[in-house]
Amino acid sequence: MVMKRALAILTILLIGYWIALALSHVPFGADKMLVGQYYLNHVKAQTGAVNAVTAVVVNYRGFDTLGEVTVLFIASTGVAALLWRKKRKRTAKTEGSVVLTTGSRLLFPFIVLFGGYIFIHGHLTPGGGFPGGATIATAFLMLYLAFSVYEIPHKGFEITEGLAGMGYVTVGLIGLAIGSYFLFDWIWQSWGWGHSNIGRLFSAGFIPVIYTIIGIKVGTELSGIVDSMVKEGGE
Amino acid sequence: MNLQFASLLIALPLISAFFVPVIKTISRKAVMPFLVIITAVQTGIAAWVFEEVYTGGKPIIIMAGGFKPPVGINLYIGHFAALFVLIIAVAGFFMAVFSMKSIGVEPKDKYAMLFLLLMLGATGMISTGDIFNLFVFMEITAISAYALTAYNKTGEASEGAMKYIVLGGIGSSFFLVGIALIYGSLGTLNMAQIAQLAGNINPTVAQAALALLVFGLAVEAELFPLNAWAPDAYQAAPHPVTAMFSAFVVKAGLYAMVRIIYLLRDTQAFTGILRLVLILGTITVVIGELSALRQTNVKRMFAYSSIAQVGFMAVGFSLGTQAGASAGVFHMVNHAIVKALMFLAVGYVALELGGTSIEDFKGLGKKMPLTAFAITVGAISIIGIPMFNVFWSKIQLILAALKVGKTGVIALILGASLVEAVYYIRLIHTMWFESANGEKVKENFTLGVIMLLLVALIIVIGVFPNAAWNIAQKAAADLYNVSQYIKNVPLLPGVSP
Repeated sequence: MVMKRALAILTILLIGYWIALALSHVPFGADKMLVGQYYLNHVKAQTGAVNAVTAVVVNYRGFDTLGEVTVLFIASTGVAALLWRKKRKRTAKTEGSVVLTTGSRLLFPFIVLFGGYIFIHGHLTPGGGFPGGATIATAFLMLYLAFSVYEIPHKGFEITEGLAGMGYVTVGLIGLAIGSYFLFDWIWQSWGWGHSNIGRLFSAGFIPVIYTIIGIKVGTELSGIVDSMVKEGGE
Repeated sequence: MNLQFASLLIALPLISAFFVPVIKTISRKAVMPFLVIITAVQTGIAAWVFEEVYTGGKPIIIMAGGFKPPVGINLYIGHFAALFVLIIAVAGFFMAVFSMKSIGVEPKDKYAMLFLLLMLGATGMISTGDIFNLFVFMEITAISAYALTAYNKTGEASEGAMKYIVLGGIGSSFFLVGIALIYGSLGTLNMAQIAQLAGNINPTVAQAALALLVFGLAVEAELFPLNAWAPDAYQAAPHPVTAMFSAFVVKAGLYAMVRIIYLLRDTQAFTGILRLVLILGTITVVIGELSALRQTNVKRMFAYSSIAQVGFMAVGFSLGTQAGASAGVFHMVNHAIVKALMFLAVGYVALELGGTSIEDFKGLGKKMPLTAFAITVGAISIIGIPMFNVFWSKIQLILAALKVGKTGVIALILGASLVEAVYYIRLIHTMWFESANGEKVKENFTLGVIMLLLVALIIVIGVFPNAAWNIAQKAAADLYNVSQYIKNVPLLPGVSP
């Protein structure tokens, strides 16, 4: 037993040393990124976003983002599939205190509003669809904590989630139809909307559209995961 | 026709998966037929892409958003990807048809979504030209595979899925660190550009990065020592899902591993990493075959046999020659056909007779003659009997090994075939020559047609191997000939060191 452990520790140390050696040869922090300067030089003309990070996420590497949205979708679908029961209900025993229930009721609209603000302004300020959607889901999580009988309208949420996902792919397919590339930014590059508006809300082509879709999708998805995990199945 | 329409290969399964919740509210019964229709359409698109690539002789480069690589992400549908996207679509279609009959556990709508996303993930892994995008698609494949493994919600299924999640999570993190090392050294994520600049990586970094990437992908590629999840997951997953795991999910993982290793050919770590893969592949074959020998559950036996075959492919690729790569690809194609057939047949037996233990196969030749015939043809083929397809890929593996003078590999292939003969002939004997009581089952017509189609394919390739061998050679050249790969990707001038 002791031998085995010593051997394991020795192996880990060896591998650790080897990886540290490799890391010491990587010039982290040096200006190595080949495309970085290209993005900074062309971001405004090509995408209209003043938040270059957003432009990279939604435009230049939009394919990855579509993939990440899908990963989250799979997670929520997987959780729902594995925790599926014919009848499921909440089993919380104690109601939240007056402070919690009143506070939740008061705060709920403001949290949702703030989440919406984050994803709508994704092309202007730090943030975007993922944090915005997570913020909205927090509001629903709070309702679950405060009220022992609260449930989201899951049918509606599920359909909204699906429609939002379809919306994202549809935006990409319109790009394929108009600009002949999948996920082509047709609002900015073909229609040329908002070119005089850079730095304000109505600019940056399809970024606000996609971020709104992602925000709604992530919000409903995470709320759905909370719902699946909170409820327990009866036989 | 605009070749960018090939991006529908990704868009169609995705938008259809998102559409399932809407369909469900209209009619619950429509979900499974919808899955069949979508996979059929996907097969059509894949066939068109295959035709374009193989007649045009040029890969289709899809540029997402219209940005040229490395600024944007590109898909690279060359000869290899076109072939395997078609295999994925066809296997997906057959398994969707099988799912209509075999999936009884609710919620079926979630099953259909995960099914489509598993296909999407594997398609993306095989066709992407960006190493981080490869990671994203690997996550899509892996996470839907975890959920599908546990879908039956039995104790075994949860255990299998849990093992898979833990190993898969470790694998993904290895893979991500490997990408970080490469990105940190070269400053690019585009696979063609990585290949172009590979000579500039520090040897130690290249060694560590390649080792991390290989171990990260070894989970999906089911190579020793990271394949402990596979037998449990194969056994417990719904039958169509098991068939898909064996037909294309494992191949997508192996492809990604081989593609990355070949891309980094100019690094000094290349020969060392090939030797590592050779060793891992050899151990995988040995352990897989010896474990298969001991199994009393037929589905689990096939799972071990499938793992061992993947070991063969890894060994073929690790020879580091064009001939080895061609043999590896040919074996991939043949194995996909055979294992899709065999897992389909085993699943169908389980459905009709209630289990997959060897007891259930006693007298199967009398109870379900067509299914027993399908399993027999598959088994004979896998052993490597002449006039069946796997014979030719095993021969090509042996010839490739002979060319580089690796007699050990030849001994491995012959020895493993002998072990395969022992356990498969035992199964054939049980099916045809042991009697058991039980009524003759009326076999399903559609599934019978699918099985006969696959059987016909096995025999056609077995008797006339040249056409399939040519396709495999072209696909392997796409994988092996890295300088051509770099030339095919229209890298934006000015964005390089």
